[in-house]
Amino acid sequence: MNPLLVYLLLLKANLISFSGLASLPIVHADFVQTYHVLTERQLNTAVAAGRSGPGPAGIYIVSVGYLAAGVPGAVAGYLAVITPAFLVIPLLRLLHEKASNPRLRSAIRAILLSAAGLLLSASIPLGRDALTGWFAVAIAAVSFALLSFTKVETLWVILAAAAIGAGTVWMPMH
Amino acid sequence: MEGMKPSVAALAWIYTKLGNTTFGGGDPTIVALQREFGERRKWLTGEQFALAFSLSRVTPGTNVLAFCAATGYQMSGWAAAMLGVLGASAPSAVLAVWLTLGFESAVGNVYTNAAILAVLAAVTGMMVSSSFALARPSLNRRAWPRVVLLSGGTLLLREVWNISPLQIMVVASTIGALWLEDEAR
Repeated sequence: MNPLLVYLLLLKANLISFSGLASLPIVHADFVQTYHVLTERQLNTAVAAGRSGPGPAGIYIVSVGYLAAGVPGAVAGYLAVITPAFLVIPLLRLLHEKASNPRLRSAIRAILLSAAGLLLSASIPLGRDALTGWFAVAIAAVSFALLSFTKVETLWVILAAAAIGAGTVWMPMH
Repeated sequence: MEGMKPSVAALAWIYTKLGNTTFGGGDPTIVALQREFGERRKWLTGEQFALAFSLSRVTPGTNVLAFCAATGYQMSGWAAAMLGVLGASAPSAVLAVWLTLGFESAVGNVYTNAAILAVLAAVTGMMVSSSFALARPSLNRRAWPRVVLLSGGTLLLREVWNISPLQIMVVASTIGALWLEDEAR
């Protein structure tokens, strides 16, 4: 498949969706049903690969591009993922000019408090999947305490959790 | 825009470091970046975070990348916005292709699975911590009714009625514009 077409189709899917996997129905319609360049299984593999690694769920688009057109397709997919992100800057400039308005400032602070609720809500399904035993709950609690009450770097907490997790499998084997 | 202006290189490194080590989707990455830029280094104010967070939700595409573009731009202009987006996504994109190639063997590895599960547990704690950090300054400003209404109300709307984050933020900003906070008067 022509990488330019890959880019345009994936950009279209990204531009009319507002979160990571919301673009999936459009990608499915274009790549599986209309152009027949991907099978259902390949699309599932792309989604699973995108979700298995770190970073945003929407990165699966890069895998779709790769499966449709090789490395040039992956580059096209990557460009389609990052292009819409820059649309935020004109919006930011527009609102920044009005930032001294008391009503706007109060509205922004209200969004901040709403964001606290949204992040708490987002942690619920994550916790449901991850907190499967006392050991995982202990990791979450220690992570909460370290990040809330110390200045330790987030990266160290993540790396320590990964090492402890792998260690729990390694130790019984040795 | 406001406050201290960190170097573009320092910002790019932090976006790369946190954007590619945080599992669980975009929200955990946003939380990790907010903690690093807002709480640890004080390069990003609460208001700047709120603006970037809300605008990234109304920008088409991947929210976390719009968030990186917005916060990078707020802290150090266009170059930081571009490097923020590239740093937070390019290594993950390469990894996604690599995982596509060897998907079965990579995710079937017991060590990898155990490490990812433990990281997700840590990320859960990190998200609760960040939520607490966002609400904490308002608790100290005798603004607890706003916290209960806006943070608690948001949680209720999401979990009980499954209202979309975008709709909730529209409601929250309307309430904020009508019910002025003491400091904004």
